[in-house]
Amino acid sequence: MDLSLTPEQEMLKTAVRSFVHQEYPKETLLQIASPTEISPEEPWEQLTKTGWLGILIPTEYGGEGGSFTDAGVLFEELGRGPVPGPHISSAVVAALTLLEGATEEQKNEWLPRIASGEVRMVAAITEEEFGWLESDVQVTAEQTGGRLTLNGSKAYVFDGETATHLMCAVRSKNTNDVGLVIVPADSVGITIRHLPGFAWNQCAIDMEDVAADSTNVLGEELTGGWTALERASLKAIPVISAYQVGGSQAVYELSVDYSRTRHQFGTPIGRFQRVQDQIINLLNALDAARWTAYEALWKLDIGRDADDSVHLAKTVASEGYYEACNFAHEVHAGVGSMTEYGLTLHTTASRTLYNYLGDPKLHRRRLADALGL
Amino acid sequence: MDFEPQYTPEQEEFRQEVKSWMKENMPPGIVHPADPIDLTEEQYQLRREFGRRLGAKGWLWSTASPEYGGGGLDVDHAVVLEEEAEAAGLTIPPFYDSGGRLGGASIVVWGSEEQKKFFLPPIFTGEVRTWQLLSEPEAGSDLANVKSTAVKDGDDYIINGQKVYVGSSLGCDYMWTLTVTDTEAKRHENLGWFMIPSTLPGITVQPMDLLISGGESGAGSGVKNTVFFDNVRVPAFNLIGGHNEGWKVATTHLELEHGTGGKISRNPVVDRLFDYCRTTNRRGQPITKDEDAREKLIDVHIEQEIVRLFQLRNYWMRHSGISTTYEGPQASYMRKTLGLKMSRHILDILGPAALTFDPELGASEGHMEAHSRAGIVAIHPGGTTDIQKVIMSRRIGIGREVKEKAGALG
Repeated sequence: MDLSLTPEQEMLKTAVRSFVHQEYPKETLLQIASPTEISPEEPWEQLTKTGWLGILIPTEYGGEGGSFTDAGVLFEELGRGPVPGPHISSAVVAALTLLEGATEEQKNEWLPRIASGEVRMVAAITEEEFGWLESDVQVTAEQTGGRLTLNGSKAYVFDGETATHLMCAVRSKNTNDVGLVIVPADSVGITIRHLPGFAWNQCAIDMEDVAADSTNVLGEELTGGWTALERASLKAIPVISAYQVGGSQAVYELSVDYSRTRHQFGTPIGRFQRVQDQIINLLNALDAARWTAYEALWKLDIGRDADDSVHLAKTVASEGYYEACNFAHEVHAGVGSMTEYGLTLHTTASRTLYNYLGDPKLHRRRLADALGL
Repeated sequence: MDFEPQYTPEQEEFRQEVKSWMKENMPPGIVHPADPIDLTEEQYQLRREFGRRLGAKGWLWSTASPEYGGGGLDVDHAVVLEEEAEAAGLTIPPFYDSGGRLGGASIVVWGSEEQKKFFLPPIFTGEVRTWQLLSEPEAGSDLANVKSTAVKDGDDYIINGQKVYVGSSLGCDYMWTLTVTDTEAKRHENLGWFMIPSTLPGITVQPMDLLISGGESGAGSGVKNTVFFDNVRVPAFNLIGGHNEGWKVATTHLELEHGTGGKISRNPVVDRLFDYCRTTNRRGQPITKDEDAREKLIDVHIEQEIVRLFQLRNYWMRHSGISTTYEGPQASYMRKTLGLKMSRHILDILGPAALTFDPELGASEGHMEAHSRAGIVAIHPGGTTDIQKVIMSRRIGIGREVKEKAGALG
C-alpha cells in the first residue's frame, strides 16, 4: 500500500503547476473566457510543445506512453487553472477511442498528430434531447458503396469550436449500426454555433450532406464504433474526475485564504463557525473526489476491473466540483461573483463537466449495474 | 499509487501461518449478537481467551514494541492479521478494550520507562482489559472541564468524582482517566492522567440505561456505565506524564480516537444491508430490483466508499509515519454522518421492518433494528460531529494563520 505519488509524478506535478502559473495566469484565463476579447493562441502553442498531450498515447504512436495515474496528475494540475481544452476531449477521449477501435493505419494517421497538438479531435456525441446512450444517436449516415453522407445535428458538444476534427457518433441509415466517423471540422456542410450563456465551451453542430468515406470511419466500419467509445469512456472518465479534483482544490485554497484575509465584525470571517462549515464541507467533497478518482486510476493502471470505481469517481467528482464551487460562493459572497476574482471560471467549468460523458444520475445507475444490484 | 497491500511471498506464507493458527486457537462457538448488550459472560470469556492466545503470540497488538509485549510486526503483517480476523468474523482485539489502541498508545508516548514496563505488557498480551473514563456530567465536548479531583497525599493521590458513558458489560481490570490535580492552575495545565486498577476500594460501577451503546470500534461494547470514585487511593506511580501534565497525555489518545489511526476493514452493517436486500423478496422480486431501493443503496455505497477511502488514507499515513492534520477528525465526521444517514436509508428501504428485532418480522437477525438506534448514538463517542468540525477547522487554519498541531502519536 502506498498512496503517494512517485518521484517522477511529483516532478510532473511541479512542472505542470509552474507551466500553468506561467502560461495560464488568471488574466489569460479570463481573456479566453471573455465573450468579447480575442483568445491568445500562445499558451495553447506552448502546451502542445510540452508533449503532455501525448501522455496516454503509446510511444509507438508518438506519445509518452504514461500511466493513467500520470494522466491524472497532469489533468489535476490543468484543472486547477482551469485551463481550457481541447486537451481532455482530444488527448484523452478521442485518443483512447482511437486506441480502442481504430485500424492500425488510422492509429498511425491520427495519434501522432493528436500527441503533437497538430490535430485537435473532439467527439461529438450528444444531440438535442441530450443523452449519452447509443439509443440517443440520431444523426444519420447514408452508405452508398464506400461513400457516406452525414445529416443531422449534434448539440451541447464540449470543446467543439476549437476542434480541427470531429469524431461524430452517427447511425447508419442502411443497417442502423451506430459508429464513429472522423471528419475535418471545416468540411463542406458543417456549421458550428457557439452556445452562449453559462455553458463552458459548448456548441451546436449542424451537418448537411457532409461527405466521408470508409477510411474516415473508426475501424473502417460503423459496427463496433460505439463499443469502442464506451470502452474508452470508462478509461477517460477518471482522468476527467482528476481534472475536477484540481478545480475543487483550487477553489478550496481560494476559500481558506479568503477566510483569513477577509475581515467582518472586526475579525477574520473564518473565525465564524458557519463559515468554517462551508469550507469543511468543501474539503470533504474535494477529498472524496480525490481518493475515488485516484483509486479508479490505479485500478486501470494495474488492469483490474474498474467499472464500479469509474462510475463512483465520476459521480463523486461531478457532484463534488459542483458543490465545492457553491460552498466557495457561500464563503466569498459578493466578491466571488465578480468575474475578475476568478472563482466563476471554476463555477462555469463545474456545471458543464457535471454532464460531460454522463451526469451523476447516469453513473449512479451504471454503478448499481456494476455492483450487480 | 497502490491502494492495497502488495502481498509478498513472505506475507502469503505469514497468512498461511495465521490461518492455520487461528483454526487451532480460535475457541469454537463465538457468535455475534445484533445488540452488543446481549453479549453473555460465556461469550465474553471465549473472546478474552482468544485475546490471550493472540497476545501470547504477539498478535493482539502486533505493531506494538516486543519490549512491552507487542508483536513488533510491520504494517504489512498487521494487515494480514486484521484481514484473517475479519474473514473469521472478528476484530482484533476480539472484545471491547481501550487499553491497546488508546491508553497504551498514550503510555508509550508519555510514560516513564518503569511505567511502560509495568503497565504495557499485560495490556499488549491481553492479560488485562482496560476501559477509558473521560466524559463527566459537566464535561462532554469540553473534556478539559472535568471536575473529578486527584489530591496528592503522601505517595498517593486520593481520587473523587463521577465518570459517565464508560466501558462495557462484564467489567475490566484497569481504568484510565483524567482528573483535576490542581484546582488553582490554568485550564489544560491542571490535570492528571491516571492508570487505575479497577479493584481498588471506593470504585462503584453502575450500568446506564441508553438507547444503545455506540462504540467507536467494531467490537461492540455492550452496556455503558457510570463510575463513581469515592476517596480512591491510587499510588503516584500510576500518574502518567507528570503532575498537571494530563492534558498533553490525553491529546495522544484523543487524536487516535478521532480516527487518525484509520482502518482497512469493511463496514459490516453495509454488507449486511446489501446481503439482506439481495436475498429478500418483496412483491416477487429482490429488494435490490426496486428502483427506489436501488437509489438508496447506491447512496449508501457511495458514502461508504468515501469513508473507506478516508480510513484507508489515514491508515496508510499513520503506518508510513506521515503526520496528519485534519484527516483524523474528517474520517470520524464522515463515518458518523454516514451512520446517521444510514439509519434513515434503512428506514426508507425496509420500512417498519427496520424497527424491530422480531425473529419473523425484523430484518437481518435484528442487525437493521440495532443500527437504526446505533446510527444515532454513534455520533457522539470520541467527540460529536460538530466537535470534529471544530478540530478540522483549527487544523486547516480556517480564519487563522497559525494552524493547530495534531496530538503526538509517537
